[in-house]
Amino acid sequence: MWAGPLRVRAIFMTPRIAAARLPPGNLLLAGLPDVDRRRLIARCEPVELELEEVLCEEGARIRHVYFPTASFISLISSVDKSSFLEVGLVGSEGMLGTSLLLGVEVASLRALVQGAGPALRIDAAQFLRELKRSPPLRKRLDSYLHVLMTQLAQMAACARYHLVEARLARWLLMTRDRAHSNEFLLTQEFLAYMLGVRRAGITRAASTLKKRRLIRYSRGKMQILDERALEAVSCECYLDAAQMYNRVMA
Amino acid sequence: MPGIAFPQQNHILDALPPDERGRVFPHLKLVTLPLGAVLYEAGDALRHIYFPTDSIVSLLYVLEDGSSTEICVVGNDGAIGVALFMGGETTTSRAIVQSAGSAYRLTGRRLKQEFERQGETMHILLRYTQALITQMAQTAVCNRHHTVDQQLARWLLLSLDRLSVNTLSMTQELIADMLGVRREGVTDAAGKLQRLGVITYSRGTITVLDRKRLESLSCECYSVVKRETDRLLPARSVH
Repeated sequence: MWAGPLRVRAIFMTPRIAAARLPPGNLLLAGLPDVDRRRLIARCEPVELELEEVLCEEGARIRHVYFPTASFISLISSVDKSSFLEVGLVGSEGMLGTSLLLGVEVASLRALVQGAGPALRIDAAQFLRELKRSPPLRKRLDSYLHVLMTQLAQMAACARYHLVEARLARWLLMTRDRAHSNEFLLTQEFLAYMLGVRRAGITRAASTLKKRRLIRYSRGKMQILDERALEAVSCECYLDAAQMYNRVMA
Repeated sequence: MPGIAFPQQNHILDALPPDERGRVFPHLKLVTLPLGAVLYEAGDALRHIYFPTDSIVSLLYVLEDGSSTEICVVGNDGAIGVALFMGGETTTSRAIVQSAGSAYRLTGRRLKQEFERQGETMHILLRYTQALITQMAQTAVCNRHHTVDQQLARWLLLSLDRLSVNTLSMTQELIADMLGVRREGVTDAAGKLQRLGVITYSRGTITVLDRKRLESLSCECYSVVKRETDRLLPARSVH
């Protein structure tokens, strides 16, 4: 069980700015026909996800499906109860609970809230009823599952071959997209845990990015200063995944 | 190894109830898969789903620079082409034959028709997809944290489970490609297993002599994947 230091805090902007930059809800739901979307949302309850909250343990029964609106969740694979790797990141573009689409009520990955904020939540049984009732919902979520599986495969190859610096840049960009902000708080222990590398490796990579003025990082506060340059440092995995999502979910 | 192939050698086809067999089996086409053949490349349009009987197919994720890593291995336990029923019209991985043999294939159109009936074909393929997801996630974290020795043991066990024999025809280059490591790494790891009397390796044929020992040398990833596959898929009927 993970019990070590783990800190990522989304920095909330002043309410006025936050409202201006708030995402338009969940993109999976936004793409549904009006009738289907309204019916599903009527059965959802709004919840606030707390930082570091474990929404589901590996092997545990799935009680709820979550559609993040401005929160985000890491999907984590583990070995030997001590080593980890993030294999998926779910924000307002996705959902947590895809196993239910496959007729399986047990989660295969740990789901850890990495960015606090609102989400819509629906009971698993209700969700399955809606899924049966709404072919457009089924179709859209199946496509998302395809995206998620591709992301998973890509993470496997990326973790194997790409250098820490490139993976760090990719991770920062993916997180930025889901935090809807260029600023978030995180510790190097957390990053090492997500990327499955030693802390010293993260420290080195982060200080290189810092020296090149792509990021600012102090006291656990991460700020992306130059996203274009960060994209150039990142492996292809960041843009590939984003483009794939757009292509499949369009 | 020519022999009489029949659809029930594949666990998924075997699990179908009689009425679904009646609809699906007449449309299955038996194909021979030679070692190293590429069933599809990443980005190809998916036209068929394959159900291996005595062959093994690896799915590889290929990066821009051409380096690749195996994300899952499919044999008589499963099917290749699950993206077909998730609305993915193109593939995102490379499917390459890792152990020669046969497979039954079905056109995407037929598969979709059967899927729309929402019977056992759909349910079992969906559950199989979940087993694949587990295998992919476990492989990702295994790649990151475990030694080549452990990974080779895991890989041999997963492959052999899908063959129902103790022998695998395989070159070290291919294994290195699958595991995404250098060939010397595989040579070293295979050499260790051979000195321990766990396998013999000669002229591209690997024979497992001591399976229990091989299991103890593997990382936990083998048993995690096996347990999940067993849990999600029906027990085999006896032939």
